[in-house]
Amino acid sequence: MSNGKIVSIHSFRGGTGKSNTTANLAAQIALTGKRVGVVDTDIQSPGIHVLFGLDEDKMGKTMNDFLHGKATIKEIGFNIGENTGGDEGRAKLKGKNLWLFPASIRGREISQILREGIDFNKLNEGLQSTISEFNLDYLFIDTHPGLNEETLLSIATSDILIIILRPDNQDLQGTSVTVDIARSLDVPNLFLLVNKALPKYDFAKIRDDIQNQFNAQVTGVLPLSFDMAENASKDLFSLRYPDHEWSKSLVGVVDFVLAAK
Amino acid sequence: MPGVFDRLEKEIKVRQQQDGITALDLVDLPPALRKIMRLMLRELQMSYPRLREAMESMPETDRLTPDQLDAALSNLTQQFWLTHIGEGEKAIYKVNLRKKTGSTLAAGIWSSLDTKLKGKPKE
Repeated sequence: MSNGKIVSIHSFRGGTGKSNTTANLAAQIALTGKRVGVVDTDIQSPGIHVLFGLDEDKMGKTMNDFLHGKATIKEIGFNIGENTGGDEGRAKLKGKNLWLFPASIRGREISQILREGIDFNKLNEGLQSTISEFNLDYLFIDTHPGLNEETLLSIATSDILIIILRPDNQDLQGTSVTVDIARSLDVPNLFLLVNKALPKYDFAKIRDDIQNQFNAQVTGVLPLSFDMAENASKDLFSLRYPDHEWSKSLVGVVDFVLAAK
Repeated sequence: MPGVFDRLEKEIKVRQQQDGITALDLVDLPPALRKIMRLMLRELQMSYPRLREAMESMPETDRLTPDQLDAALSNLTQQFWLTHIGEGEKAIYKVNLRKKTGSTLAAGIWSSLDTKLKGKPKE
């Protein structure tokens, strides 16, 4: 087995900022010199490619092609470090070892997956081969929100699971279910990350309350930010605005990921 | 014309896809087997000696005896949760995950959607 670690990023509900957080976290870890991959397993509603500046014209082969036996994992990896430039935050990734394995944004291909289902043996083979063929230190999996079969597979196979939640009662209840399942599946490192916390609240108290409620490490509390909303997924926020409170809190999560055994 | 072996192979494949394990099934397995299944998911396949080795490296409380391991492997294989090539010491095991079934919406909806999407010059 390759030594690369699988990091699944999950949220029970949509709109928690999961893809934004995943992309920024993966980028920050790539900046430390690690070899990092990001797989979009949110095949029915893909989106993380936007944060890496990838559009349909630039997008070559996708996870959908792999699942249908039309492409190898090697052909899918889009090298972010070789395809970035200009004055964007993303430009800081130039020369870094970061690959994106996107899901297709073509309507026909999404509908084909919905119609025909997913061969999970093939999907799992793809995830594991991604690590070995690209010699990755970390493979981030961006999942569809909620509990579905793809999400459960990614949880079952991950070394690190980061559950993103807002300090909101609906999120808290759903997170409780996910935490129970992750524990039943023996995930070695279970972390929580609170996003979109109202700045008027005491973040230390939020951290303590949630940590106590779930008996799991809260790796950070990220503020609800209009600046982040204004960025509108056009760039990697933490790279473009490194001194912003959101970015500084996110960078704090990197240490937890790097320290996880 | 497909031969008997082709037909049998196809039948086995269909059965494997229908009867494979889901991630939720892993929750109900005994701890030692769950750990092995997780390891197998990561390694994609494991030889019998490697499985024995993995079992021996587990905490004593979780560990299965060689006989218990053989019985568990046989049981998991009968359920099509594991597949194997070869027998005994030379066997190589692989987890068989159940396929996610496609949508149960009427076929007409998909063909109509396909027609509409094909008509679009570019998405």
